[in-house]
Amino acid sequence: MSQMVLGIGDYGASKQPDTEIKTYALGSCIAVVLLDPQTRTVGMIHIALPESKINPAKAKEKPGYFADTGLPLLLQEMVRHGCQPKGKGLIIKLAGGAAIMDYNDTFNIGKRNLLAIKKILWSYGLGPRSEDVGGTFSRTVSVSVKTGEVILSSPGRPNWKI
Amino acid sequence: MTTLNRQAEIARAIQAAPLLSPIANKLLQVTARSDHEMKEVIDLVKCDSLLTARILRVVNSAVMGLVHPIGSVDHAVSYLGERMVVGIAVAECTSEFFGKPLEGYEGESGQLWRHELFTAIASRAVARHARAPLPADLAFTAGLLHDIGKAILSEFLRGTSRELVADIVRGDTADYLAGEQERVGLDHAEVGFELAHHWKLPDTLTQVIRHHHHPETAAPGLRPLVYAVHLGDILAMMGGHGTGSDSMKYHLHQGYAEHFTISKDDLALLLLECSDEFRKVEASLASLKET
Repeated sequence: MSQMVLGIGDYGASKQPDTEIKTYALGSCIAVVLLDPQTRTVGMIHIALPESKINPAKAKEKPGYFADTGLPLLLQEMVRHGCQPKGKGLIIKLAGGAAIMDYNDTFNIGKRNLLAIKKILWSYGLGPRSEDVGGTFSRTVSVSVKTGEVILSSPGRPNWKI
Repeated sequence: MTTLNRQAEIARAIQAAPLLSPIANKLLQVTARSDHEMKEVIDLVKCDSLLTARILRVVNSAVMGLVHPIGSVDHAVSYLGERMVVGIAVAECTSEFFGKPLEGYEGESGQLWRHELFTAIASRAVARHARAPLPADLAFTAGLLHDIGKAILSEFLRGTSRELVADIVRGDTADYLAGEQERVGLDHAEVGFELAHHWKLPDTLTQVIRHHHHPETAAPGLRPLVYAVHLGDILAMMGGHGTGSDSMKYHLHQGYAEHFTISKDDLALLLLECSDEFRKVEASLASLKET
């Protein structure tokens, strides 16, 4: 089993059945997982912030950091693997976007990430099939390319699937 | 074991904790004074050949990307800045203490150190948004030490995290700090405060450690610094650098707005800048472990 570990702002896709795609410790960040049953391809991105306009230089250096510059690149990566990123072909799952207790508008970056991600997905005619977002806990996400199972883990909880 | 017995056990563990090195302690004392000068820091470093060697190794590490190597202590300390010198001195003498797994929080080896380091960087960055001038390097140092209590308390919390998390989710327990109190009669801020006394840390730092989850209870003059670390801690958790099962299970105290002006965009930029600086500082300190 090989592992593709994605850090903050990283994205990647694979159709190698023995690969697991994983990203660790999502706080307010969100992982977007794309599953294509036709080509048996899995893609994932670890998004930290909603909009690239706050730092265009960073967006150029690491576009995956932002929802608006990262998601189109992940979709391109899926196309490179032979997927059709439109309509109902892709299964999309979201995880992350946690917040501190008693957060205010300023500190709710997780929710702003979620809204930005959904808006961009809608512009492609896509939407999430399932999501595990918000709450006051960090999440680690792993996906097996072979089974397409999306497993979440968090210290202090048993693992769960979405 | 009763709560009283546990508290006595924790007190013994604090007394048995390894001390900071004399040079780290002196640096913390000097840099906590508002009227200190860089020359005092340089003079202290010059008295310690081991720390001098480590500082030169960090400043000349590949991650710093210097074209010409730096050979003098004066130049190296000026280039790295006071906070990095303190960071190197503290890292040197606490690597075992901060590096061990936090079993009571289901935290992995090195996770506490990474959390302390991210919080330090974020507290310093937050200090730049203060309404009144705030010593940013002191915010870094306070952030670097704010969770020392977890290194002691973790052992006493072993096996409690699942139940504690479930209690918070159900709303039976207010937050992780309250959960620690319920299990062992003390929380990590109190234990950190006692350890800070044992380490003879400057009063400013011991107060930040004690109040970092409840900045409103700190002395009025210290509140801006305590809030800076309070927010730095939260930014570390948001950025995925918590210490395990307790991550995000603390309250944001809205009183910060009295001392800081932080917009939504400011916060996003803070998270971005701190993540970048964290990667750089972590990589440069990793050069200390290279042979």
